[in-house]
Amino acid sequence: MAWTATKQEGALLGRQQGRVDESNWETFSADLVAAITAAAASGLPFVVDLAGVPYMSSRGLRALSTGLATAKKADVAMRLAAPGEAMREILAISRYDKLFEVYDTVHAACADAAR
Amino acid sequence: MKVRFWGTRGSLPVAATASTIREKVVAGVLAASGRTFADPDEAAAFVDTELDFVTRGGFGGATSCVEIEAGDGNFIICDMGSGLREFGLDAMRRVVGGHPRRYHFFLSHLHWDHIMGFPFFVPAFDPETIIVIHAGHTDAETALRRQMKEISFPVPFDWLRAKIEFVTLPTGVAHQIGGISVTLLEQHHSHLSYGYRFDVVGRSVVYSTDSEHRSDTMDSEDKFEAFFAGADLVICDTMYSLGDSVSLKQDWGHSSSLVAIDLCRLATAKCLALFHHEPTYSDVQIAAVTAEAIQYEHLTRGAAAAVQVICAYDGLEVDV
Repeated sequence: MAWTATKQEGALLGRQQGRVDESNWETFSADLVAAITAAAASGLPFVVDLAGVPYMSSRGLRALSTGLATAKKADVAMRLAAPGEAMREILAISRYDKLFEVYDTVHAACADAAR
Repeated sequence: MKVRFWGTRGSLPVAATASTIREKVVAGVLAASGRTFADPDEAAAFVDTELDFVTRGGFGGATSCVEIEAGDGNFIICDMGSGLREFGLDAMRRVVGGHPRRYHFFLSHLHWDHIMGFPFFVPAFDPETIIVIHAGHTDAETALRRQMKEISFPVPFDWLRAKIEFVTLPTGVAHQIGGISVTLLEQHHSHLSYGYRFDVVGRSVVYSTDSEHRSDTMDSEDKFEAFFAGADLVICDTMYSLGDSVSLKQDWGHSSSLVAIDLCRLATAKCLALFHHEPTYSDVQIAAVTAEAIQYEHLTRGAAAAVQVICAYDGLEVDV
């Protein structure tokens, strides 16, 4: 499975495996919304683990920012964690590192989100 | 086909200030430290080969105006931004050399920065000139006449001496104009905008500016993939970062280089020209976002064919 969502360290942790592009952004977007809904129901912050994502195209990124808007409406704190080198570069090029709080590790993101 | 960029800036014309030019001169002088030049040609060769583009020149500040040289030899021009003034002067020189005096304009839309050059278009005062203004909008004539009313401009539209005709072009069909096949695509922008695709003898250029690719309409972006399909050159509005286009500047009608690169890759277009540059950006900033766009194309290419990413500037010529 490309996407898994589990409760971990006081947060709902969503893990995407593999790139997100025009072939799968709709599934990724639906997975994000479902996880945000679950996080809201549980009163937990939401952390997206990007360690398994080699890169994301503009559609994947826009799915992320649509998820952020959904999370804000649901009063859920949404954070990004553990991007690899390429993914971190894409977040900087797109200026998504200004839209999201990005953490080096899942542990740091969960710890900060749960505070 | 040859494409000439006469205006590449978005929204508002800008000009280099004295301090900006001073910075360039200082950088050039430092780069030449210890060098001597026998004559102006030798100095020019140094400037051309050893100084970077930002130091020796810059991207320019005129608003949208792009000439396409193709078809039956008449002038083909996309948009009438402030770059049109310089084009008009150059066209008059070519007319003196025997170039036909017929101009086919194609308007992306009617916002100020895309029509403001027309009152300064010298050929419009030549009674031997024929100007055909093509648009997807039905109110192009209203917009051009309105900006030359007394409240805004001293010379009224009716004082122009060229023969001027307005033609509304529907989308979804190929129009044969000036020896070129022209198709239009409706785009998301305030009061709508239209993209144009120009095809002639196996070559194609797409002009797609002031087109917002919204997050909530990603499922309909395949119409742009089809419109860009196999194009040799795609000129795209890449005014904002993706982050700005989905947040602070959402619904401002513009897009990002990242979306343009993805659409070009999916369309197997060969070359993307970044266009409609943010007017607040310096040459250094435009060069930096261009380098980032090229890096994004590299990072996300996967197994797909490479898309060449170039940055349009006032004065650039591209052979297609």
